[in-house]
Amino acid sequence: MIDLFSYVLIGLGLVFWFWGTSHLLRKRSVLFKLHSLSVSDTLGSMAIVVGLILVRPNEWPLLLLALICLAIWNTVLGYVLAYSSGSEGSHE
Amino acid sequence: MVGYLNLILRLSIWFLLTANFSWQNIIIGIIVAFLLPGLHKTPVVLKDWLRVFREILVAIPQAYMEAFQIILRPHEEEEITMERVKPQRTPTLIFLDIFLITFTPKTIVRKYHEDGWYEVHWVRRRKNQ
Amino acid sequence: MNVVLLAMILALLIPIYQALKDDNIWQKMLSLASVASKTSIMILVVSVLRDDWMVGVAGVIILSVGNAGFMLLAQILKRLNEV
Repeated sequence: MIDLFSYVLIGLGLVFWFWGTSHLLRKRSVLFKLHSLSVSDTLGSMAIVVGLILVRPNEWPLLLLALICLAIWNTVLGYVLAYSSGSEGSHE
Repeated sequence: MVGYLNLILRLSIWFLLTANFSWQNIIIGIIVAFLLPGLHKTPVVLKDWLRVFREILVAIPQAYMEAFQIILRPHEEEEITMERVKPQRTPTLIFLDIFLITFTPKTIVRKYHEDGWYEVHWVRRRKNQ
Repeated sequence: MNVVLLAMILALLIPIYQALKDDNIWQKMLSLASVASKTSIMILVVSVLRDDWMVGVAGVIILSVGNAGFMLLAQILKRLNEV
């Protein structure tokens, strides 16, 4: 039962990865791509790591630390990239 | 509130990293947490912090909801709005606000103006709402 | 789990391709940031797959140091563009 749940979470994370990353190939502004990357790289990766915690419950402290750091760093990187890219790179 | 939250943050990182609850480890963690610089005595309103914790708990399911909305119905339009910063926020609380706004996939803070405005970038389904 | 790893490698190819193709520096930064976070998640998956926690610790350290280098690089690029 728990195995099934963890596979569902990892699968969901992979779907998010493919969906978000596919938007990188389109000709849109940096900010628009950042929105889809925050779906794939933050939320998708968080789902994958939660799935891994369910597979290996013994190692929960390390994986929980990974989860928190992932959420914080990816979000902050998104803000820094949005701030410093400004309106450049808009492909328009 | 003598930087308690900062202390709690440091200790929780230490215990998650070491995953070891022996006496020596607890003592080392507490000593290191106190010795590290930057433990300022900032006046913190406990009520604000409780609100922030609640917002973080709400933000995670909300972020997944927005992710599903974006995936199922393509949001193609972009828009920039200005939002007012709530009055009397310490820098830490402002950072948390920016973090929460950027964490949800539909919104990203583009710029924080010193005089109390965020510049928020949205994706929407159609123009003008 | 092997299938998961294969799918991850496929997903990783997309930003690598985009980083090589696009000439705009910010688009390149975006793709490379995506590569960075995807590979660190892949390290965690490999460590679970092989049941080897030395690998896992390396992945967690990479994640907790995070993309600090990318942030510094973004600041430098911003300054360079202002000059």
